[in-house]
Amino acid sequence: MGADQSTVRAVITQFLARAEKSHDELTDETPLFGDGLGLDSLEAAELSAMLEDEFGSDPFSAGGEMPDTVGDIQAFYEAASTA
Amino acid sequence: MIGLLESAAARSPSHTAVVTPEGSVSYGELLSDARRIASALRRRSITRFAIVEPDVAWVIRLLAGGALAGAEPCQYQADIAPQEFADQAQVLDHVVLVTRRLDLGGTLDVIRPEELTGETSDELAGAADTQPIMIQTTGTTGRPKAARHDWQLLGRTVARFQPRPDQRWLMAYGPHQFAGIQVLQHVLASHATLVAPFPRQPRDGLTALLGDDVTCVSATPTYWRFLLAEARGRNVGLPPLEQVTLGGEASPADLLSELRAVFPDARISQVYASTEFGSVASVKDGRPGFGVDALYSELHPTSNLRVIDGELWVRADAGMLGYAGESGKEPATAASGDWHATGDLVEIVDERVMFRGRSSEVINVGGSKVHPLPIEDKITALDRVAMARVFGRPNRLTGAIVAAEVVPMSGLAEADLEDIRRDIKSAVADLPRAWHPRSVTFVDAIETRGEKTVRGMEA
Repeated sequence: MGADQSTVRAVITQFLARAEKSHDELTDETPLFGDGLGLDSLEAAELSAMLEDEFGSDPFSAGGEMPDTVGDIQAFYEAASTA
Repeated sequence: MIGLLESAAARSPSHTAVVTPEGSVSYGELLSDARRIASALRRRSITRFAIVEPDVAWVIRLLAGGALAGAEPCQYQADIAPQEFADQAQVLDHVVLVTRRLDLGGTLDVIRPEELTGETSDELAGAADTQPIMIQTTGTTGRPKAARHDWQLLGRTVARFQPRPDQRWLMAYGPHQFAGIQVLQHVLASHATLVAPFPRQPRDGLTALLGDDVTCVSATPTYWRFLLAEARGRNVGLPPLEQVTLGGEASPADLLSELRAVFPDARISQVYASTEFGSVASVKDGRPGFGVDALYSELHPTSNLRVIDGELWVRADAGMLGYAGESGKEPATAASGDWHATGDLVEIVDERVMFRGRSSEVINVGGSKVHPLPIEDKITALDRVAMARVFGRPNRLTGAIVAAEVVPMSGLAEADLEDIRRDIKSAVADLPRAWHPRSVTFVDAIETRGEKTVRGMEA
């Protein structure tokens, strides 16, 4: 399945809905941790599993730099598709 | 085994011992075939042999014949792949194979069971002094592991049984499994009838329940769940049962109450047994776990159960002599009362010893030890869930996360699945956060091994 911006956003939005986390409109700059979405390690692990299930790989487990923002997750899949 | 068969055949030779897809066989017929097999084994100087055979009547003939001759039988799974069989037979050092399958054997000496029963029966000077049997452990992958037992020790647990020829037991286990051997012994000791379909899936068991007048069933909790789900799926009512036995896994409270509701007149027993330790204890009050008064104490010095550091320890009355390839103790000292750790984790809650899962199933989530079983129990208790399995899924951030596979009740819409996710969230809300399933997937069937749910860490 293609990991374009809307499908990546959709997975993150679905994760936030299931985790019952309220949030403002997602942008590339929205931080995943701290004042942004405020994910803790268990929630980040849950998001990574959902991304893996959807796209076959995920930026948290790939061994590279950890994503800090929504845009970083998007960038991981864009890099993967052009590699 | 041979003793049980001889006594059943002496009392009621024409009574049906076993019903299989190949037909019905009486106790008298089984005994005379077993005698011919014993003679043939002795004539050929066979002291150990492998069996690959799906039909339970043939299995009984071969096991009893082996016992009479003092030769050690060892069953392999009836549908084992040729290469896997070759590998396992090499590890267990088998050179003689008795099977009707034509695709097995290789370098082994292959004998058809009909060849053995086709020979004449010699006058045998009574059963052999030692009557060994090797039973493979289930749940293992790769290198096979097998326990060496003696029929005379195994028979102790059924020694005082009264004849119950009216009982008809379903064979829900494979006869190669320890629990299957227990059912065989139970039926023979009771002079009852064994109904043994093949294949042995819960759907086949349900068909036997509906058509073969089964009155007693012993199966794993996972098998029972599948059986009940199958009956709901076919929209059929279940006939009354006299005996409902659960073993091999912990019995969840919701399953016990469902069985109580479906079989209101049945006696519900839970047995605690393993291939290594034999049959250790049984609980008959129909509640999960067992009472602390059953534990070993000064007041109860004969108990074979105790709890040490949250783990159940047992001592075996009829345990194995040793694993295959290990020199074992003499049968007389195998029951000497050494305590052994079982790997079953328990917790005492309100005077009940409750099972929390296997130590090998513990999931390490960011340093927290999580037991899958209590989570699974909460999920399977939900109305819209037919079955569930909880296991560990590797995760780089936390080492592992708790994952659940859920079989929804049939006929639910996609929208209901999101509701089930919310139900699961609420159901586990009182557990620590590390225990909450972080990956929930909906599946048509859950993974089982030897009719037990596969938990623990995913590879």
